[in-house]
Amino acid sequence: MSAAADVNADAGPGPGQGAGPGADPSASAAPGPRSRGGGRGRRRARSRAQRETRAALFFLAPDAIGLLVFVAIPMALSVVLGFFWIDGFGNFEFIGIDNYVRMVKDPQFWNSARVTLLYLVVLVPLIYVVGLGLALLVQQRFPAVGIIRSALFLPYVISIVVVAMVWQFMLTDRTGVIASLLSIVGLDGISFLGDPRFALGTVIAVTVWLQMGYYMIIFLAGLQDIPGELYEAARIDGASAWQRLRRITLPLLAPTSFFVLLTSMVAVVTGGLDMIFVLTSGGPANSTSLLIFYIYQQAFLFGDLGYAAAVGSVLVAFLLLFSGVMFLLTRGGRFSHDD
Amino acid sequence: MPSALPHRRPEPPPAGHPQRRPHGRPQRSAGRIPRRSLLAGGAAAAASVPLLGACGRAEADRPLTFWNFYSPAPQQDPNLVAQSDWFQKAIDRWNHAGEHEINSVYMTSDQMNQRMPVAFASGDGPDIFLISPGDYLRYANGGVLVDLAPYMEQEAIADYFPEALTTRRDGDRIFGLPMEQEPLALFYDPDLLEKKGISEGDLPKDWDELLELAASLSTGSTTGLVLDVDPGYYQNFTFYPWVWQTGGDVIDPTTQRPVFDADGPRAALELWGRAVSTGATPRTRPANGDIVSAFTSGYAAFWETGVWDVMNLTQNAPDKRFGVLPLPPPPGEESSTILGGWAWCVNARGADPEAAARFVVQTLGSMDEQSIDHIATWNGPAKGNMPARRSVDAKLQADDAYAEEHQKIFHDEILPTGRGEPRFPPVVYKAVSDALQSVELGGGDPGEESARAQQTIESYLETYEGGSLV
Repeated sequence: MSAAADVNADAGPGPGQGAGPGADPSASAAPGPRSRGGGRGRRRARSRAQRETRAALFFLAPDAIGLLVFVAIPMALSVVLGFFWIDGFGNFEFIGIDNYVRMVKDPQFWNSARVTLLYLVVLVPLIYVVGLGLALLVQQRFPAVGIIRSALFLPYVISIVVVAMVWQFMLTDRTGVIASLLSIVGLDGISFLGDPRFALGTVIAVTVWLQMGYYMIIFLAGLQDIPGELYEAARIDGASAWQRLRRITLPLLAPTSFFVLLTSMVAVVTGGLDMIFVLTSGGPANSTSLLIFYIYQQAFLFGDLGYAAAVGSVLVAFLLLFSGVMFLLTRGGRFSHDD
Repeated sequence: MPSALPHRRPEPPPAGHPQRRPHGRPQRSAGRIPRRSLLAGGAAAAASVPLLGACGRAEADRPLTFWNFYSPAPQQDPNLVAQSDWFQKAIDRWNHAGEHEINSVYMTSDQMNQRMPVAFASGDGPDIFLISPGDYLRYANGGVLVDLAPYMEQEAIADYFPEALTTRRDGDRIFGLPMEQEPLALFYDPDLLEKKGISEGDLPKDWDELLELAASLSTGSTTGLVLDVDPGYYQNFTFYPWVWQTGGDVIDPTTQRPVFDADGPRAALELWGRAVSTGATPRTRPANGDIVSAFTSGYAAFWETGVWDVMNLTQNAPDKRFGVLPLPPPPGEESSTILGGWAWCVNARGADPEAAARFVVQTLGSMDEQSIDHIATWNGPAKGNMPARRSVDAKLQADDAYAEEHQKIFHDEILPTGRGEPRFPPVVYKAVSDALQSVELGGGDPGEESARAQQTIESYLETYEGGSLV
């Protein structure tokens, strides 16, 4: 419903109007002996509606201008840059779709796309499961639950660079805490950050540890909105814990789940640069070179701004497509349970 | 170097060219302008003329910026403070002489990597900045570096060691003045070796001995040989001398064609791969790459690093013994090393490139005694590396600066085997880096990887326009 329609609805039906909220007052006003008084009322209502529309626009303007200047225009410009050769020193040339042709033939791009997809399909479900599991755990009442909730959320408020450096120390071969602990049980020689077989998994594990607290809080908020009577009734009917989770919790958490899946997906694809930058620098052997890191390399280390913009545009297009499909499949996050 | 690539901005419409009007009925806003608005607009326009002029003057008059990662020092570490003071002294001397004021802007090298491209792309680059050979060609080909040769005496140009200046010049033009030469070597921990029953007479003399000894030392928390493992310009920097020791190269300096798919580079790749696969070299560096912590904790026996770590170890672990030896060559070959180091450059699009160039030359490239003394302080007590100029070398020798045992080895044995760090453009760097990473850490085949890198470099060079690669 538009802001104007909202305002009309708030104004209420005028004389001779029987329409419900949202109806256009002018459309239902009948001419006749009361048309003079009705006209004044209509004018008053319209004038009030205009004032309120202006007020609404005024309040929306800062956000809208901010989005336009800092998001929409840079995004549009970035798409345009993808059609140029740019060296970053004021020299540029229109090259049509050459950057996109190059991308198709670039093995490093495809490697980064593969790594990003793997990262996405493993990390997002993991964040979902761990976040929900922790929320279910700390929803219970037991001693020191507040402290445990805070402890779980704590990693999220620490600087990612600090987190990455601490983990880097702990994961160092031979001398790191984790290597020392593993050697006690006879597991020597595992290089979590230096072996291409384990590096991406290690980055995923550290990212889950970092972000689980945030998603736990989101799920906790969703869980607290579920009426306790439903669980009570289910218990009386003899439903097991698993049945209560499947039949009550998960369906009623659907909008929260949608939010978590969508935002974590965007965060995973567009974030991760600082973590990768500190933890692995994209290595070993490009095994953690996410697309976002590849874009950073092209733009900032190699000065190839046009190509970086083209890769960035493809990434955004992928995100839009993926988000659109998710919206369609889940009916905008309502799923079928709200019908 | 060929001249910078031409500017390709579209020509702006000529002054006074009538702007095309939109078709259709004129909009209300395009109709008559009220007199009051006209007067206000005229006043604003009149006021803007001097304001715009003032803006132009303000840009030219603003203090020059010098982006670097030394000064003002963000820490109290005596080593860093001494280096910061050295920069500040040069700047103060210039500013006190009443020249165009210069302000030092500190940032880490990672921050510089990220901020420089953005600053230059927006036309707001620093007036003076530090650059390594790895970044040189991008800036030189972009046409943003000032030729410093016209500001220098011929005697001062001849005073530079050729290896120090080669990678910053194009013919007679000089686009950066190096403040140092930083050779790589193999540092070792004699205490750890003695504990394992190895005397200094048993130090490795070639690749095979090095790997055999390092593998035997790698037990428990101890690592035999630390080679760089993180992908990046620095890792390539540490790898090139191993290629050169075989007589091989990445690009042939004469033909400017890639020669990476050859026996020498393949052997060097194989060496690095074998170092990791035999356990002689760890896949992550001990103590997060901090040699002081690693040596004092007994975590590493041998470590490939540069002359800067002599001062680092001496100042931060004064009681810890350490040794230095030239990089061991392949059996039957001669040792060779690489000479790194930073150079000062001037932004041709800065506020006052002429003043900035004079400052750089006065500080680093003058035959003035004060200049020579000041650089000798940098290469001596402040940073403890090797000089880029003969006169500074003579001054340091006269001051007995190479009496210290490690400095003496670097100066007398290692420096003469050095070759300037290559100034490969990003695509060449990346091709070598991918090959190295694949063989060293991914189990890739040296033959396949060197061939792939060669192919990548060849196709890149087919369309490359810019300065010579070596």
